Amino acid sequence: MANLYSQEPMIEMYVFETSQLIEQLETAILLSEKYSSFSIETINEIFRIMHTIKGSSGMMMFTNISTLTHALEDLFLLMREEKATHIDYGGLSDLVLESVDFIKVELEKIKNGDEVDGKSDMIITEINHLLKAARGDNASLPLEKKGAANEAPKFYISQSKKPSPEYKNTFKAVIYFEDDCEMENFRAYTVINNLKDITEAYEYFPPDIIDNDDTIQVIKEEGFTILLKSDKSYQEIHTFLSQTVFLKELELTELLEEDKSFQSLKRTPGTEGIEKPEDLRGNIATERELRDGNNHQSIISVSVGKLDKLMDLVGEMVIAEAMVTQNPDLKGLTLENFYKSAGQLKKITSELQDMVMSIRMLPLHNTFHKMHRIVRDMSKKLGKEVELEINGEATEVDKNIIEYISDPLMHLVRNAIDHGIETPKERLEKGKSGVGTLKLQAKNAGSDVIITLADDGKGLDKDKILQRAEENGLMHKPVEEMTDREIYSLIFLPGFSTKEKVTEFSGRGVGMDVVMKNVEMVGGSVAVESNLNVGTTINLKIPLTLAIIDGMNIKVGGSSYTIPITSIKESFRAKKENILTDPDGNELIMLRGQCYPILRLHQVFKVRSAVEHIAEGIVIVVTDGEKTICIFADELVGQQQVVVKTLPTYIKNLRKIKGLAGCTLLGDGSISLIVDVSGLINI
Amino acid sequence: MAKVLIVDDAAFMRLSLKTMLAANGFEVVGEALDGAAAVSMYKELMPDIVTMDITMPTMTGIEALKEIVKYNSKAKVVMISAMGQEAMVKEAIMSGAKSFLVKPYKEEHLVETLRKVLGV
Repeated sequence: MANLYSQEPMIEMYVFETSQLIEQLETAILLSEKYSSFSIETINEIFRIMHTIKGSSGMMMFTNISTLTHALEDLFLLMREEKATHIDYGGLSDLVLESVDFIKVELEKIKNGDEVDGKSDMIITEINHLLKAARGDNASLPLEKKGAANEAPKFYISQSKKPSPEYKNTFKAVIYFEDDCEMENFRAYTVINNLKDITEAYEYFPPDIIDNDDTIQVIKEEGFTILLKSDKSYQEIHTFLSQTVFLKELELTELLEEDKSFQSLKRTPGTEGIEKPEDLRGNIATERELRDGNNHQSIISVSVGKLDKLMDLVGEMVIAEAMVTQNPDLKGLTLENFYKSAGQLKKITSELQDMVMSIRMLPLHNTFHKMHRIVRDMSKKLGKEVELEINGEATEVDKNIIEYISDPLMHLVRNAIDHGIETPKERLEKGKSGVGTLKLQAKNAGSDVIITLADDGKGLDKDKILQRAEENGLMHKPVEEMTDREIYSLIFLPGFSTKEKVTEFSGRGVGMDVVMKNVEMVGGSVAVESNLNVGTTINLKIPLTLAIIDGMNIKVGGSSYTIPITSIKESFRAKKENILTDPDGNELIMLRGQCYPILRLHQVFKVRSAVEHIAEGIVIVVTDGEKTICIFADELVGQQQVVVKTLPTYIKNLRKIKGLAGCTLLGDGSISLIVDVSGLINI
Repeated sequence: MAKVLIVDDAAFMRLSLKTMLAANGFEVVGEALDGAAAVSMYKELMPDIVTMDITMPTMTGIEALKEIVKYNSKAKVVMISAMGQEAMVKEAIMSGAKSFLVKPYKEEHLVETLRKVLGV
């Protein structure tokens, strides 16, 4: 990574935290927009988010982000103090979201190690316009200054009534601060604050440092001058004042006893200001408003890389455990104690594995709620009204899987609004409500999660699909033989989306085929149902996890295969007389009045096997939730948890392998291929 | 080695402070995520110095500062502020903060500030 900021963990943390914050920000804005008002809690939250991003970005020297967030922070500060009477909320939301997008782009650059060169000037100018408008006519002063001016002077300086003791020595000190130290007046004040530990007799110039910001200029140009009396020696005072933070230069001179200039210092410093604690209360109250109900949780964030590694290690351990307990050397031995201990080990590994899995599981919440933004932007631009309903967002899925389905889902939502839901006018003409509904929901189904996206738009037009598929040469089956579902699935084929349909949001070259590809990559499937003018429902079925599954090992010839347990319904030895053969030579089996096709694995995978007679092998009934088929194999070996490894790329690249989801290592060290049941069914 | 308690709600700022401090011979004994935690951790750990963010949920840095100073009038607290927080810095200084830093600050300034406040 060739960039300026080489402190990687810092960047990682910065990107992580900032992304989280802008996500929160986005949610807060969208929610406020929905209720068309900003609650004081929201304003405070947004203010705090802006403040944090500003601070972190400043530290990382991402000036464009920090100046942008600074401008927004000003805006929300104004709102917090309820001085924003003329705010245009619509414009505000747009601006904040625009800023969110800007930061997102910059974060992406940071992640990739590119130069962070986005220009935020445009947005800042707009924010300033809004800020000006919001302030109305009455205010021209910057806020903080106003606050400061209202404050009564409060001094820490010795309030004691007792007369100052007589000190031996008198000094004059002139302190110059470093050029970039900021708030010189407060810096000077800290010096005075510390000084009270050693003496009570002192005076300083300029005098009104705490209340008058103009003194900053004086201190910058002429330095901060202190006259003081003390028993301490020159050296001691010098050392003391050298401890001043951001000190650039210190001029310390010892004055002679008769130096008249110090006489003026004889008055009690306490008279300079009277404490008025009630004036401070206002400030504390605003501070208190800043607090919100955020409960501090004992949560740590861990990089995904480490979790992946942990997962891998646990996977290796599961294999190693099987290798030990099923070691061929143990065959035929009586090992009562060994198996007792091995049982214990097995229990712990499986608990460990469950725990690691659960760490990697994330709720779909964020992925789902991202869609609010898409729905908002798109319906605004397309002049459609769409309501997004979200259900089951608490459903948890493996982190890796979430990454894979996030983009497809976004694409589907865009597509549904762009092509599915009609304009309010069209909808009213059809007798529907003017506001379209998009339902996004997730639910668990065994070892899968089903994500459903349903719109109540115009639905898919079968004839148009068929026509387009024909034009693009995608038809490989006579139309009469195609089920509705097969017709709808055509839209997921690469090359189906044509240029003709390109709009700003969907169909930008990436067609629905990308959706299919991503979902299939994680071993999931896509199914479409549609009714003309009623709506379209798209179901994504995705596995909960990719890593470890319960599998049934089977043997076909000399090879081992593993079938995921969840897809197996039953297995049995078939009798010859139950087998039917259709005119094409396909074998079928009758089972409780139902007829299922038989797939001989040794034929599918072209393995030489001694078991060819149906009664000698075993028939395994498998289902993908919709269709059921029977697989014919040599024998069942046993049930085992297996760690799913992807097929090596050199095999994957060779040709498209259907019916295999990956491979795994067995206890004896041999390789078993994991059967992709839905792949086999659709072969 | 001087014991430091870091108080900041932003994980990035905590990491950045920790990294800078550790590289300069400070021992970070604790990290608090809000003012309330800062006060209780201060009492428990008795650090030599505290770096205190101002804007935090639950209890702001200034309130925490006041609590800490009430508990130990000699407590050394350095406020971490940002541009535009002049009024709060002022309140903090008057409430007993020993010094303050303005984000974005440089590592050398952080170290200098802490060393000087500690008097080492």
